[in-house]
Amino acid sequence: MTLEIEQLLHRERLPHIWCAGCGVGIVAGAFLRAVLDLGLKRENTVVVSGIGCSSRAAGYIDLNTVHAIHGRALPVATGIKMARPEFTVIVLTGDGDGAAIGGNHLIHSCRRNIDLTCILFNNQIYGMTGGQFSPTTEPGDIATTAPYGQFEPPFDLCRLAEAAGATFVARGTAANIRQTEKLIKQGIQHCGFSFIEAVVPCPTEYGRRNKPAKAVDMLEAERARSISKTKAARLSPEELRDKIVTGVLYEDTQKPEFQRTYAEVSAGVRAQVGRRFAEEDEK
Amino acid sequence: MEPWHGHLLKERVDQSSLLIQGNRACVLGALDAGVRFYAGYPITPSSEIMEAMAFELPRAGGVFVQMEDEIASICACIGAALTGEVAMTATSGPGFSLMQEAIGYAIMVEAPLVIVNVMRAGPSTGRPTAPSQGDVMQARWGTHGDHPAIVLAASNVADMYRLTMAAVRFALRFRTPVTLLADQVVGQMRESFSEELIGRYRLTSGDFDFTPGYLHPDVAREVRRPHILGSGEHPHVTGLFHDETGFPTNDPEKTDKFLRDLYNKVAHHRDELCLYDVKNEGNGRVCIVAYGSCARSARAAWRLADQEGLSVEILHLYTLFPLPVEIIQKVARRVEFMIIPELNLGQYAHEVRKMAEQWTTVIGMNKTDGTLITPREILDRIAELVGKYESV
Ligand SMILES: Cc1ncc(C[n+]2csc(CCOP(=O)(O)OP(=O)(O)O)c2C)c(N)n1
Ligand code: SF4
Ligand SMILES: [Mg+2]
Repeated sequence: MTLEIEQLLHRERLPHIWCAGCGVGIVAGAFLRAVLDLGLKRENTVVVSGIGCSSRAAGYIDLNTVHAIHGRALPVATGIKMARPEFTVIVLTGDGDGAAIGGNHLIHSCRRNIDLTCILFNNQIYGMTGGQFSPTTEPGDIATTAPYGQFEPPFDLCRLAEAAGATFVARGTAANIRQTEKLIKQGIQHCGFSFIEAVVPCPTEYGRRNKPAKAVDMLEAERARSISKTKAARLSPEELRDKIVTGVLYEDTQKPEFQRTYAEVSAGVRAQVGRRFAEEDEK
Repeated sequence: MEPWHGHLLKERVDQSSLLIQGNRACVLGALDAGVRFYAGYPITPSSEIMEAMAFELPRAGGVFVQMEDEIASICACIGAALTGEVAMTATSGPGFSLMQEAIGYAIMVEAPLVIVNVMRAGPSTGRPTAPSQGDVMQARWGTHGDHPAIVLAASNVADMYRLTMAAVRFALRFRTPVTLLADQVVGQMRESFSEELIGRYRLTSGDFDFTPGYLHPDVAREVRRPHILGSGEHPHVTGLFHDETGFPTNDPEKTDKFLRDLYNKVAHHRDELCLYDVKNEGNGRVCIVAYGSCARSARAAWRLADQEGLSVEILHLYTLFPLPVEIIQKVARRVEFMIIPELNLGQYAHEVRKMAEQWTTVIGMNKTDGTLITPREILDRIAELVGKYESV
């Protein structure tokens, strides 16, 4: 297993840039195992990322990888998928990249239900730029741009994705990485827009200023807060406040997928026009 | 490539001479040149390009996507370009501003794109339905950092066809975004357009072959090796400074070399990239240097001047960037005045002045009120100059 994973890594690019205890690498590893398990072909698999610590994963993965600009991985991936429908296209993004600067692209990608898999590494902070708050920072927590405590309310990204029209919505954590790996596999297999939120610790820029501070404690806390969808259904909103609801949260296999629908419309028009041209030629 | 049963094509085949709108001629040129991917966001006065693409591309087996904004549009084009397509988008000032960061990325990752900017008047929302040439310097320097730029300017409907094809060719050959500037008048007016306009087009800078299909073999002559996703090479593509492997580098020497190579791949091919036409070469003390809709007025002014016994030279520029240094300096050496009519406050005149002022007097004629500069206005200015000169 380890050897195979290594074949998917640009080993000459190591050591990676991530801090000790960072959760990004844990989930990136799960993604690679999912790629191996699904037997995805290297020449047909494209990874697109934006800018951020999490987005740097693209630089270590030996597939077709595009490290795009901040917030724009999804539209770049949309162009790739529309131009080459036979490609499996996976987007790696962060909470800042995918939900702040790229938030508009996220909701529109969900709405179109284009067959992409978006793995959003939610460390609830802007890691790369030094710990500024993100749209998922917990209220009351400290960030470099929330020195008196965050007072903006956060997004629930999975509910956002579902409401916007994504047809596979799931949440996993770095703490329960087996589950996350399974969710990523399911997401890639799903035809339509798959959104997977991976909750990951950032000990350096989040932990350092908040509690718990240490990487292991952050993972422990993640595990303790995690709860399945079925269990969550039995809790009151008050009881749910501190919980991380994990698993497949929403799935719809009926909604038409964007690229296929476009191809059908286009083929239909061509058949119709071709007939008309042929008839005119006969005349 | 699949056969294209387009409306536009049918119109062209049915009628020997077509009365067609500039924006639609642009679409015809793009399709003839092999563009099969378009992503855009509507904006006046460019929307007809997008609408025609929405209609034609599904018929041509191509892809049309209306994105959520111009940033997404150009990013989708970049994604498609990275798979080997030549992709196109069109916009006007506000959308062009939004695209700037991604244009830099496209330059950095050497993605072939065509961006058509049908200019409107003024900054911000300005006057959407009035022409201008206010985005000339933005087209050159809009994105941050030192970078190359290829910028063409269309002055009539036939140009919208021809220069779109040229833009595709340059984008593929140099693997970089190419901006085609038009303005509200050139984009939205209708002119007749005939089969003769397709084929060889004679310019002073050299013949340009616009035969459909001619453009594709050029891919083989690309200046830089493309990194195409899914080509079996599984490349890494990044907007960070990178070396020839495609991976990021902080090495000062490699960084410097990368940037200079990027810059020079355009700068060193000025002879191929600079398209221009000289009329009445070497006759007269004044040369009108013009591009876009002002070049129409300039050509009309030349004919008017001729009738009135005044001889003027015309330098009609189709390529604004890379700067056509050689021809501008050549003309500058032989005329006393260079007059540059522009629908802006002298953006290009400023560039010309830098290159030419040691030999000639460069005079700008500027309008920013949303109306065109008339041939008579140009002529009056020339008479004023020549007269003034004679009285000295
Ligand atoms: C247009 C633009 N604005 C700002 C930045 C600076 N920037 C780089 S990464 C980043 C935040 C990344 O946060 P996130 O997506 O959560 O990634 P993380 O580092 O936390 O994994 C910002 C603001 C940029 N690169 N581009
Ligand atoms: S700053 Fe945070 S997210 Fe970035 S590498 Fe370090 S721990 Fe990971
Ligand atoms: Mg983050």
